[in-house]
Amino acid sequence: MKCRQEFKLTEGKKERIGVYVCHCGGNISDYVDVKKVVEEIKKGEPNAIIVKDLMFDCADASQSEMIEDIKAQKLDRVVVAACSPKLHEATFRNMAKRADLNPYMLYHADIREQSSWAHEGDMEGATSKALAHVRAAIAYVKSAEPLEKIKSETTHSVLIIGGGIAGLRAAIDLSRMGVNVMLVERSPALGGHVAELGEIYPYYTSGPEIVKGLVDELKGRDNVAIYTNATVMSYSGYLGKFEVKVKVTHRQPGSEYSEITLHVGSIIVATGFDTYRPPKGEYGYGTVKGVVTLPDLVKALGDGSKELIYEGRRIREMAFIYCVGSRQKPPEDGGHANLYCSRYCCNAATSQALTIHRRFNNVKIYHLYRDMRTYGRNELMYEDAAKGGSIFIRFDEDHPPLVAEDGDRCRVTFWSSLIENQPVDILVDLVVLVTGMEPRQNEELNRTLSLPAGSDGFYKEIHPKLRPVETNITGVLISGTAQAPRDVRETLSSASAAAAKAASFVLKNELELDPFVAFVNPQACEAHQECIKECPYGAIELVEELGKKARVTSAKCKGCGACVAVCPTGAIQLKGYTNMEIKSMIEELAR
Amino acid sequence: MSTHAFEPKILVFSTNIISDPGIDQAGMSHINYPSSSRILRVPCSSMIRPEFIIHAFESGFDAVFIAADGGDCPYLSDCSVRTARNVQRASEMMKENGIDQSRLRMAGICSVCSDAFAKGVKSLYDITKGLGPVRSEGHDRAS
Amino acid sequence: MTELPEEAYDVLVIGGGIAGMEAAIDLGDMGFKVALVEKEPTIGGKMLLLSKVFPTLDCASCISGTKTSTVSHHPNIRLLTYSEVAGIERVDSGFVARVTEKPRYVDASLCTSCGECEDACPIIVPNEFDFGLRGRKAIYIPFDTAVPKNAVLDLDNCIYCMQCERVCPADAINFLQVPKAHTLRVKAIILAVGFKLFQAEKKKDYHYGEYPNVLTSMQMDRVVAPTRPYNAVIRPSDGKEPQNVGYVLCTGSRDRTVGNPRCSQVCCMYSMKQAQLIMGSLPTADITLYYMDIRAYGKGFEEFYRQSRDMGVKFVRGKVGKIEQKPDSNLTVYYEDTEGSGGMRKADHDLMVLSVGLLPNTEVAGLFKNVKLDLDEIGWIRIMNETRSSVQTNIDGVFAAGCATGPKDIPDSVLEAGAAASQCAAYIRGASASITAHEVPAGI
Ligand SMILES: Cc1cc2nc3c(=O)[nH]c(=O)nc-3n(C[C@H](O)[C@H](O)[C@H](O)COP(=O)(O)OP(=O)(O)OC[C@H]3O[C@@H](n4cnc5c(N)ncnc54)[C@H](O)[C@@H]3O)c2cc1C
Ligand SMILES: Cc1cc2nc3c(=O)[nH]c(=O)nc-3n(C[C@H](O)[C@H](O)[C@H](O)COP(=O)(O)OP(=O)(O)OC[C@H]3O[C@@H](n4cnc5c(N)ncnc54)[C@H](O)[C@@H]3O)c2cc1C
Repeated sequence: MKCRQEFKLTEGKKERIGVYVCHCGGNISDYVDVKKVVEEIKKGEPNAIIVKDLMFDCADASQSEMIEDIKAQKLDRVVVAACSPKLHEATFRNMAKRADLNPYMLYHADIREQSSWAHEGDMEGATSKALAHVRAAIAYVKSAEPLEKIKSETTHSVLIIGGGIAGLRAAIDLSRMGVNVMLVERSPALGGHVAELGEIYPYYTSGPEIVKGLVDELKGRDNVAIYTNATVMSYSGYLGKFEVKVKVTHRQPGSEYSEITLHVGSIIVATGFDTYRPPKGEYGYGTVKGVVTLPDLVKALGDGSKELIYEGRRIREMAFIYCVGSRQKPPEDGGHANLYCSRYCCNAATSQALTIHRRFNNVKIYHLYRDMRTYGRNELMYEDAAKGGSIFIRFDEDHPPLVAEDGDRCRVTFWSSLIENQPVDILVDLVVLVTGMEPRQNEELNRTLSLPAGSDGFYKEIHPKLRPVETNITGVLISGTAQAPRDVRETLSSASAAAAKAASFVLKNELELDPFVAFVNPQACEAHQECIKECPYGAIELVEELGKKARVTSAKCKGCGACVAVCPTGAIQLKGYTNMEIKSMIEELAR
Repeated sequence: MSTHAFEPKILVFSTNIISDPGIDQAGMSHINYPSSSRILRVPCSSMIRPEFIIHAFESGFDAVFIAADGGDCPYLSDCSVRTARNVQRASEMMKENGIDQSRLRMAGICSVCSDAFAKGVKSLYDITKGLGPVRSEGHDRAS
Repeated sequence: MTELPEEAYDVLVIGGGIAGMEAAIDLGDMGFKVALVEKEPTIGGKMLLLSKVFPTLDCASCISGTKTSTVSHHPNIRLLTYSEVAGIERVDSGFVARVTEKPRYVDASLCTSCGECEDACPIIVPNEFDFGLRGRKAIYIPFDTAVPKNAVLDLDNCIYCMQCERVCPADAINFLQVPKAHTLRVKAIILAVGFKLFQAEKKKDYHYGEYPNVLTSMQMDRVVAPTRPYNAVIRPSDGKEPQNVGYVLCTGSRDRTVGNPRCSQVCCMYSMKQAQLIMGSLPTADITLYYMDIRAYGKGFEEFYRQSRDMGVKFVRGKVGKIEQKPDSNLTVYYEDTEGSGGMRKADHDLMVLSVGLLPNTEVAGLFKNVKLDLDEIGWIRIMNETRSSVQTNIDGVFAAGCATGPKDIPDSVLEAGAAASQCAAYIRGASASITAHEVPAGI
């Protein structure tokens, strides 16, 4: 067989292998004949210079014994056959380090969880399985190569795209950590949506105050550069070394814009959301006078007036209609709909209702809702609004309310199961559509970064629990409402979380990455490019200068090995799990 | 060789973070499964080359069980899709080589899915036992 | 008590649930030295005990397992389990924490987690990690995925029969162990002490603890987990597979009569999750959720809700007044219909699950000696100025994350933990950072 021949070629090298089989005080040896395993290895493996069985491989004394053996016998490879590697692989790799042996020249074979414990009462079966696992481990270390953690320099700077509260919060954290921060904001001002909001739930602070608080923390910090009226034009590079070109439009006449090049180690995308704009006619929007959206109302309330007047109309009765642009039904034709819940809106609407109850006397408010999602302590606002004179009426998604003009007022018709599904009409002066959030229109940026979006259209994290701020592009992070609908506090959390991740990349000036990354054998590469298509992280490229060969950028590779499976010639392989290592293990396991 | 004494050898590909701990869990819970199984761990099931699977049959394994990451893969959200596609390719290669395709099985095994693992391997074992050794099939043609 | 010499770290993280682990890993990755103190014999918190987790239904152990193993091998993290913080004092610009490491009566450096002691021990007591559904021995390994995976002897229940000592192959049992007193000098602190479950006994009309077929949702999460106690989804009274399960949402939440008017944020979602998992195991079972509002507000949650409805989970809008047991141990639920035709109605189920709410771990305030930690009206750790920072407590240098500051799902707990790590790092480096001059445009 092909592999064995390759083996013969290397046999001349004469590896010096140490093999340590553990009894685990009987936990292994009760069902695995440890002595027999040792004898078989001694018999069959001339390069196993030392083959021992130990009561406990992991005991300090045993580790010292291994270290002595490695040094005295000049062992260059070690096999430990014991419990699960999840428990002690790190222990033994550290032992190897202490013995000046490259830790990746050690293989930890599992003969407890996967042999003795799994096959109790079957001594013969468990023993032959354990023996096979030890032989495979020997085959592995024979073809193993010393590996080193990959070190790569990083630029001590982070680029933040978007100057809403998410971008500002991330900038503060990083700047205080001593990281250079460049913040690029497309509009002329900082603060994003919050800058335009009035009182914000549940803190009763105004939006501009919040923004000012954050901006003040940034003022006077000399490691922060803020570029407003600026957009990202292009980017290249990888984790630790991104090069980004930014276009800054000038306000002064004369020079129209300038282009700057930024060098950063990581990028945080904090580009926020767009508010849902109802199409003309949805609940009378744009067709019935007095139908507005929640952002319109918030702006109107911002002026501090004593009476609630909208476009000349004095408001005595009003209705909120919830879930506009959110929780939409999946269309039958498979078209687009916002299936998701926008999270902030139930809270924001009840809080605005509270503000109205507090500021203006005798305004009657109807809330037509589907589920009142005032989660957590926002529940108290719901309670208070009900106490303050708000009336809450539930509607079903199959029976949404209707809005029509009725003289100089609006007529809202709804169906409620509590009134036996008979239509009920109410007349109000104002209808507020509680509109949700949508992914921000950002074609230019999306084209530049090619960040993946989820089915809801918001940027997609690798894993909501394991890697919640990371994207498929290593080093490019997402935060705030660019990732999902969120309120202020939640946005601040995710922004700081992204800052923590960015800091872990750039704070040390040098990155240490696991050595298990893909590599290409240029002799075997025939430029089929299957690996390039397969890699979700964009870690592989075709390099013309090498004569059209694939090349891996280690800093982008996450070590999954998906590329390995699809290479027609076996040219791309994973360090630590090379095709040769795997095949030779298979052969030994089959013996 | 009489099929009575025949013990099918099964190669199990496991994954470091997800399915290997699930297989450990079977041992910890002392759930038995055929001891003629052998376990080889890789980082992610999407890296298993169809060629590795064929190599297993050529080397004398009677069956191959892919204990895949399933939906819990820490590397790839579509790991199952990729692994399934590669396994399908291997299956086609088996057909070409005259190896019964039911000797190959894939299942998502989470880090505590000991039962699913034991059941999966046992049933593959039973099927393979019925089929007899791989050497009786197309393997000779294959090599 | 053995007094150990003082040790210095950058950060002390209290609580080793998902939030504490995440914060410790983030800080460790940034290069800070961290001490992580967990009062239980294992890290992982509630999450490690869960079945699968919404909204993606990934297995909880797969996710927390990668975190527990990273924590236990991280070169910058010192892990102290089975350890209690005795007191924290502000000293100069930092803190000194006294931590008592309780004796396990098992030498962790020798224990190989083989479980022979468990087999030999004659004493069985309810297992707190299975919320009483299963027993454990007086000497026990908390569960298979525990980290560190070492036995621990619960002396309160031990009868000193010495069987464990006799059988331990590693001679790891040591009845002479005494508590160790650690003194940790740190620059900053992260509180990640998590939550407590609402005690369902307090809702007297639901008869939890009295009727065997009334379980809490935490018990149910164990029952549907792959590491489940009974190895099957069955009801406790007679071991039968339930065919008609009812869930009482908002048990102990949105309820002023028990002193918790707030919503617990996760119960709607975890109840739907459990419903989906039960349907996976018992495809013919009917599952009904009695609810007030379905709060599926997070990323992917509404989609999960729709999926639950499509799978056939029944949603009944109504307030459950009481549960009564019938002679065959089946249960009758009386509820006020707040949707259909209204009025009081009743329905029969063979298993009832109480979706209990999340309550604060108020003891945390008592840890501080010469400074006062602010809690809110209910007892969650108060965040000072939430429009500025989501993790800063009233004490400079003390941050809080995860369910320590209020109920939260796992994705939000993880994000908050990252935030605490970030602001902690900013706080520590704030003064000493080497700052490179950079051009700042005027007038920001
Ligand atoms: C009507 C309304 C009421 C609300 N009320 C409340 C409330 O009471 N309480 C509460 O907690 N939350 C409330 N919210 C939610 C709150 O507004 C958000 O949580 C917050 O704005 C999110 O901040 P952000 O930084 O993620 O996004 P944004 O505020 O959208 O900021 C994003 C920034 O990025 C910039 N940007 C976008 N694209 C680019 C690009 N390509 N290049 C450079 N810059 C770019 C934008 O110009 C903007 O400045 C409300 C929202 C609305 C709509
Ligand atoms: C039944 C149920 C099902 C759930 N299902 C899901 C789900 O499917 N998906 C989801 O996203 N969320 C779910 N959740 C929510 C999830 O459990 C929490 O989000 C998560 O556990 C919060 O983690 P934490 O670290 O903040 O707190 P915890 O898990 O409570 O961890 C706190 C840790 O701190 C330790 N500790 C406490 N006090 C001290 C002290 N003084 N000293 C030292 N250590 C201390 C505790 O022992 C514990 O280990 C569920 C919750 C419940 C109740």
